[in-house]
Parts: sequence; C-alpha cells; structure tokens
Amino acid sequence: MKSISLYVDRESFVHDVDPITKLIYILFAILVPIILPSFTVSFICVGISLLLILAAGVFRKTLPIFGFVFLVLITVVIIQGLFRPENETVLFQIGPFAMYQEGLHYALKITLRVVNIVGAFMILVLTTKPSHLVESLVRKGMSPRIGYVIVSVFQIIPEMMASMSTITDAQRSRGMETEGNLLVRIKAFLPLLGPVVLGSLINTKERAMALEVRGFNSRTPKTYLNVEKTYAYSKGIQALLLLLIVGAVAWRIFL
Amino acid sequence: MKKIIAQGLKYKYPLAETLALNDISFEVEAGEFIGVIGKNSAGKSTLCQAMVGLVPHFYKGAYGGKVLVDGLEVKQHSIADLSLKVGMVFQNPFTQVTGSKMTVYEEIAFGLENIGLPRDEMLKRIDEVLKLLKIEHVKDHNPFDLSGGQLQRMAIAGIIAMKPEILVLDEPTSQLDPAGSDEVFRAIHELSQQGFTVIMAEHKMEKVAQYCNRVLLLDEGKVAAFDTPEKIFSRDDLESYGVTAPVYTRVCRALGVKNAGTDCYPVTLEDAEMALRGVIK
Repeated sequence: MKSISLYVDRESFVHDVDPITKLIYILFAILVPIILPSFTVSFICVGISLLLILAAGVFRKTLPIFGFVFLVLITVVIIQGLFRPENETVLFQIGPFAMYQEGLHYALKITLRVVNIVGAFMILVLTTKPSHLVESLVRKGMSPRIGYVIVSVFQIIPEMMASMSTITDAQRSRGMETEGNLLVRIKAFLPLLGPVVLGSLINTKERAMALEVRGFNSRTPKTYLNVEKTYAYSKGIQALLLLLIVGAVAWRIFL
Repeated sequence: MKKIIAQGLKYKYPLAETLALNDISFEVEAGEFIGVIGKNSAGKSTLCQAMVGLVPHFYKGAYGGKVLVDGLEVKQHSIADLSLKVGMVFQNPFTQVTGSKMTVYEEIAFGLENIGLPRDEMLKRIDEVLKLLKIEHVKDHNPFDLSGGQLQRMAIAGIIAMKPEILVLDEPTSQLDPAGSDEVFRAIHELSQQGFTVIMAEHKMEKVAQYCNRVLLLDEGKVAAFDTPEKIFSRDDLESYGVTAPVYTRVCRALGVKNAGTDCYPVTLEDAEMALRGVIK
C-alpha cells in the first residue's frame, strides 16, 4: 500500500532520538534566531539542522522540498531587493532595475529563517514515524481521539484514493469521458464526488461503531503495545536545548 | 445461567416513524449459539446493536424495556463498559479496521490498549487469538493488504482478545467469497465450542441450521418465533417471513420425509441423508 507519510526508514542516531526531543529542537531552531537576530546565530542553526539531516542519511529526500521553498524565496529576494521602502544603497544595477543592499540584507534574513524552520521540521518528519510521534504525544497527555484522527488520516486517505480510482474505472467502463481538456476532466470529476463522499460518510459511521465496541471511549487510562522508545541522552539533549533558549533570552536582555 | 435477558425491548431510531424493535423478549443461556434470522429490515442488525449498547447510546432515539447482558443493564452502562462483557463483529470487514495501526498485530492490540491492559498480558492474549483464528502468518502485514476472510478473522480476533463472554456477529460473512466465509464460520464454530455465547444474524440458512442451537425469527421488529432450527425451518408459514429454509429441508419437504420419530424436517445435510436413507431402506 502506498503511504502518504514522508518517513524514511534508516538506521541512524537521529532516528533513535525520541520525537519529543525533536519537537523541542524545532522550538529551539525557531526561537533562538528570533531572540538573537544575528546572521551568525542563524547560520549556526541552519548548519546544525543540515548536519543532522546528513547524519540521518535523508539529505536527498529534502532536496525537492528545499527546491520548492527556494522557488518561493527567490521571489522574496527579488521583491525585497527592488522595492523595500528602506532601500538606499544601490548594490548593483541590472538594466533599469537597481538592487539595494538593505532589501537584500532583509531577504537573506528571511531566507535563513525559512530554511532553518523547514530544516528543523524536516528532521522530525523524515526521521519519525507519524504513529510513533502521535503515540509519544498521547503519552504526554494529548487526547487519544485527536491522536487517532491524525494517525488514521495517513491510512484512510490512501484508501479513499484507491476507492476513487475504482469508481473512476467503473464510470469509464460505462462510457464516461475522463480524459481530454480541462472542461471534460471537470465534468468527469462531478459524478465521482457523490459515491466517494457518501461512501466515506457511511464508512465513517461504521468505523465509529467498530471503534466504540473496542472501548475507544473507555475512561480507563490507556496502555501501549509498543514499549516507549527512549534515547539514552534525550533528557540531556532536551535540557541543553531548553537551557540554550533560556540563555539566548538572557543574552538578549542583559547584554 | 442466563447470559442475555431481553424484556419488552422497544426501540425507535431518531427521525424514524416506526419502531425498529417492538416488544422483544427472550432469554439466552450461557454457551448457546443463537441464530437471528428474518427478512431485510426485520430488525436483525438493530437487535445485535442493542446487545452491545450501540442501541441506544450511539444512535440515541426512543428506548423502552430493558436488556441485561451478563447482569449489566445495557441502558445504564457505557459501550466501553459493555465491551468487556460482549463483543461485536460487523458486516463489512473493511470498515472495521481502525486505520491507525500499521500491522495486524498492532490492530488486534487496539482494543486492549483502550481498556488499559498491562503490556505482558496484551502480548499473551494477542498470540493466543492469532493462533485461535489461524492468522499468525499475517501478523506483520498491513491490515489493508489482507483478504476479506483474513480481515474478518482479524476483526473477530480483535474482539475476542478483549475476552468478552458473549460474541455478537452481524452477518459476518455477507461480503465474503465462499472460501472466506467458510474460514470465518469455522472460526466462529470453534469459539462456540470453547464456551462463548454466540449471537449471529445471518442470511445463509444452511449455516444457521448447521451451527445454531436455537433460532430467533424476527418479523417487523417482533419476535415471530424462538425455537430449535428443526422447528423453525419446518414451519409452513416460513415464506411469509421472507425466509427460505435450508436446501436440505426443502428437498425433504418436497419428498415428504421427516426426521424419524419427530414432526420436523431435517435441516442439515447429515440429518437429511439419515432420513432419506431410512426411507429408502
């Protein structure tokens, strides 16, 4: 069955770290460059994220995502470089357009922040199973119902897509045009919606009943089949990251 | 010991005009295998759901009378509490998969996690039910990759692992191919022999006749009859309830051959063979 999760199954110490620590790392990577808005700090954070991605062996998976992000960022660079209100110092001239230093400076700051945030999230998404992440959050007190909704989406969406293609084939076998120009495709899409939407509503009701009879709403505290995965140094890493955030705040206020 | 007692059970779905269940009373002994038959919309599914508390807790609606399941009154207890006493398996094997688990093994654990069972006990019970339902070989597969028969047996395993004493099955094989439904019936039969009290709504009369101790015939929400398969399927007015007797019974009825010493027609292949051989001799 195809999966819509981006998780890459590898052996690495990054994979071994528990999801909560990775979440704290994301917090760290977002907050510290905001608290300490110097380029050095941002570069260091991006550097750490990239090193971790390389260590986890998932660098190639990040390329398409970074590619998409850079596409957006190029427009930021162009617009800020040309039109930022504070622009004064002309850096260079391309035909009639002047690129300004202040704008580019600002664009670089945004770029670093975005790369930093995307990088930190990528570490979590590419090296953690969604079910594993949700289970750790439920253990930390998140509602099991919300957890169920998040995890089941990863399996039920592909299921719905499969039933959609079955229905498409059925309609096509009865002579419906499904290929051609945009209008034809849109027309072909409408008769699919009825069966798919109604079908999934009925399925949802049946699934809800099946969950009920398996004690989904039981008030007894949940137990878990999987043993909680703990990483030897996770307490230490978490403490260090939180300390660095607090340190950054202190640095900003007192120095 | 009485496992299930229904007294004057009445139920109307919200927004419905008529009663889905109308004054239903019956009693089931521990270890019995009860078949529930009747035409479509006679109230079979509603009755099954009334045993596990989906009626009235899940649907709401108007409810009267009472059902006692292993001493618990359904109306006064939550579905989660009742799930420890009585388990239910539904028609469609595909919608019973939780969709939140990646393997059959984890899927079976779902109910056990919810009722807060310690991990050691969980592992023991899962291994037990995997063996009991003969799905050990697929325990690491993704549930969505299983065949219908395997999926339905997995659903039963998930319920059995919670150790209810009563098992309610709502047309468990209606969406399966013959091989898949044979697998499922064999599993249910085995559970029944191990002492489970089984309530099964079913359209395959040959199977009902073969496995059930007693049969509950429903008609428009009322109990039309509750008796042994032989007596039920020998009724002359069976057709008017939208039920067709097992093929063996119809053959023997056409030939006018009854079970020796009784007023009933044979309902299983073995009985029919015996009765017919008796005649030929």
